[in-house]
Amino acid sequence: MFWLQLNRVVGYWPVLLKGLGMTVALSVLALLIGSVIGFALGILRAGPNRTLSRAVGLYVDFFRGTPFLLQVFIVFFILPQVGIELSAFTAGVVALSNVAGCFIGEIVAAGIQSVPAGQKEAAAASGFTRAQQMRLIVLPQAVRVVTPSLVGQFVLLIKDSSVVSAIGLLDLTRSGWMIVQNVPNGLLVFGIVGLGYFVICYPLIWLSRRMERRGQAPVL
Amino acid sequence: MIEFTDVHKWFGSLHVLNDISLTVTKGEVVVVCGRSGSGKSTLIRCINGLEPFQKGRLVVDGFDLGSSSVRLRELRMEVGFVFQSFNLYPHKTALENVTIAPIHVRGLSKAEAEVRGRALLEKVGLGDRMQNYPHQLSGGQQQRVAIARSLCMQPKIMLFDEPTSALDPEMINEVLEVMVSLAREGMTMMVVTHEMGFARKVADRVIFMDRGAIVETADPETFFTAAKSERTRDFLSKVLHH
Ligand SMILES: Nc1ncnc2c1ncn2[C@@H]1O[C@H](COP(=O)(O)OP(=O)(O)OP(=O)(O)O)[C@@H](O)[C@H]1O
Ligand SMILES: [Mg+2]
Repeated sequence: MFWLQLNRVVGYWPVLLKGLGMTVALSVLALLIGSVIGFALGILRAGPNRTLSRAVGLYVDFFRGTPFLLQVFIVFFILPQVGIELSAFTAGVVALSNVAGCFIGEIVAAGIQSVPAGQKEAAAASGFTRAQQMRLIVLPQAVRVVTPSLVGQFVLLIKDSSVVSAIGLLDLTRSGWMIVQNVPNGLLVFGIVGLGYFVICYPLIWLSRRMERRGQAPVL
Repeated sequence: MIEFTDVHKWFGSLHVLNDISLTVTKGEVVVVCGRSGSGKSTLIRCINGLEPFQKGRLVVDGFDLGSSSVRLRELRMEVGFVFQSFNLYPHKTALENVTIAPIHVRGLSKAEAEVRGRALLEKVGLGDRMQNYPHQLSGGQQQRVAIARSLCMQPKIMLFDEPTSALDPEMINEVLEVMVSLAREGMTMMVVTHEMGFARKVADRVIFMDRGAIVETADPETFFTAAKSERTRDFLSKVLHH
């Protein structure tokens, strides 16, 4: 019985593969866009402009403090009512990138703040512009400090991407739903789906742990 | 070169600079000493705009630091600053630490900057350490890189804030030697230090600060043997006999 079911699930490999592809595509896109957003938010958050920093803080806290599923619904169902029509895929990417940007922003801000004030002073004393201080001196050091946390965040992002199956995207989780209609063994089907996530996430978890052990902290 | 006129600065209610008037001319070497908290760092940090001040006038190499339109970046190209804690960039090699500002601020090509940087690192005795990262260098070596880093911008003025205080005793001299030769080459320098040997050797003037004010200004000979103020003599007896 089990072997028969396993055989049938495996027979659905094109669906699983398609789901896996969608999950990877969503995650990679959100990772790229989210990193751009995250660095921008992080720089503003750690910046000298109090008002801007607070505004960014509020924005970030809002998205960190509300369920991601809700955010997906807002993007997909509510934005169209104000005239912004998005495909399920775009809506998924938008919601995921945004929430990833918020988490990455907090991490980047913490990294920037961990760079000793003397570094900025030395750079300022050499005549660098603020932008140069950030780009040449502060960010390279901040990135080293936060890389393990960033990689850890990417793992969360991949897992969070499963939420967008709720708006009908055929990602890895949803492909599981589809198969389980025909092969009534949830444990088996979702076991295999889970394995799919694990296969993508584990290398990242391993990488993050390894970097943390090797101490990516700046050498002072 | 540097001209303070009745400068005052407060940190909240703390009066950290109290009516500072001081003129440093081209080529002069001025040593600043005084107890911890007397405002020495604050004084020299005002000169390159690292600290703002609230009252009075400060003109450095023609730049009026009190004016809101002062082009700080241009001023800072002409004023080198050496910190007590070196503040080398940990993610850059010694040579990169030295060349990064000339490349990005002065607009030199990488090759030009490296020629200059190598020569300076040779000069401070670190010709064989160019590719090392700061954490691979001793404190004395790091501070010499920091001096070379400032010099590579070809500044007109060099400021030093206790450059040897963070160093083990056996490394102090290697740094002081570099500073002495710089002074002898005619660099305009203001140096916060308690190294009285250095003051005797190259200072044109020694200044003693207490509670934000300049209490004594004299040539080294007079300063060490015939200080006018009681507080200066008291301070000297403590510094010279430890
Ligand atoms: N950012 C700041 N905010 C508030 N007070 C400050 C600040 N920086 C310095 N002070 C205070 O101003 C006074 C002068 O400080 P400053 O660093 O100039 O003294 P200093 O003579 O360099 O002392 P030290 O020998 O310990 O370096 C001190 O009382 C110090 O506590
Ligand atoms: Mg000081």
